[in-house]
Amino acid sequence: MTTARPTATRGGAPAVATTGTVALGADETRAGHATAERSIVAFCCRECAYAAADAAANARTPLPPSVRLVLLPCTGRVSPLHLVTALAEGADGVMVAGCLLGQCHYREGNFTAVDRVAFVQRLLETVGVEPERCQMFTMSAGEPPKFVAAVREMDRAIGALPPLKRGAV
Amino acid sequence: MPITNRGREILDRLPPTQPRTSSSIGCEIERHEELCVGCGTCAKKCPSGASQRGDTFDVQQLLGTPADSRRGALGAALRRIARRDPVGLVEVPPRVTIYRTILYDAERCLGCGACARNCPAGAIEALAPHVEVTS
Repeated sequence: MTTARPTATRGGAPAVATTGTVALGADETRAGHATAERSIVAFCCRECAYAAADAAANARTPLPPSVRLVLLPCTGRVSPLHLVTALAEGADGVMVAGCLLGQCHYREGNFTAVDRVAFVQRLLETVGVEPERCQMFTMSAGEPPKFVAAVREMDRAIGALPPLKRGAV
Repeated sequence: MPITNRGREILDRLPPTQPRTSSSIGCEIERHEELCVGCGTCAKKCPSGASQRGDTFDVQQLLGTPADSRRGALGAALRRIARRDPVGLVEVPPRVTIYRTILYDAERCLGCGACARNCPAGAIEALAPHVEVTS
């Protein structure tokens, strides 16, 4: 999953050190702005993405420190207002992580989310903000590596962009 | 907005003492676009197809909505991160039900008031027809 760590995992304190800012690839460190400064809000479906995140955390896979998880019952709950407000209130990027298409536990919530994310991307484009700041990912509950890969990819994409400037309220 | 021919016909059939409430055919429909959330309920309820769900969305109009509404909150959030003024219309994907532009055709409207009764945002008003009905 990640690079092998020299610290021993057997004996002594278990791998507490693997959480945090460790084990980021070289391309993640030469970013537009530092990993610790940017923040990504990940809206996660309870049935799949959040379960995958849970499994990844149990396996002590390090996530980029920039990501903040928000639990949703289904990605169909996410509205354009959530996504744009997150960006306006301090997030540099928002990602929506839901079930594989066609495998939504509420039948078609993730299709709704895909369309709403597409709509927000168009909104961002018209006001001159990079549409990559809002992205949709799909995975099943049994794929923690895919979730970690999605978060890393998002972190890399946001790291390549300049910080999002915000005007007064 | 003038009353439609069909509305006038029906009004003519009614006795003049009949109260003309907002549920009678022939109302004047007044739309308050700044309150509309674009949910498309009026388009679903409309018997004549006068209200229809459009495929585009005007971002400029979003930025001008009152701040106490949810749509106004979206506009305010968008204004904070905007780098330039929005130009033109944004295409709305089929499953995005909110913030959609509703096309309203006054010529096809019967004035039945179904849209006004069902509007969740209170953006449509059905005014009683002010038509002189002679017995």
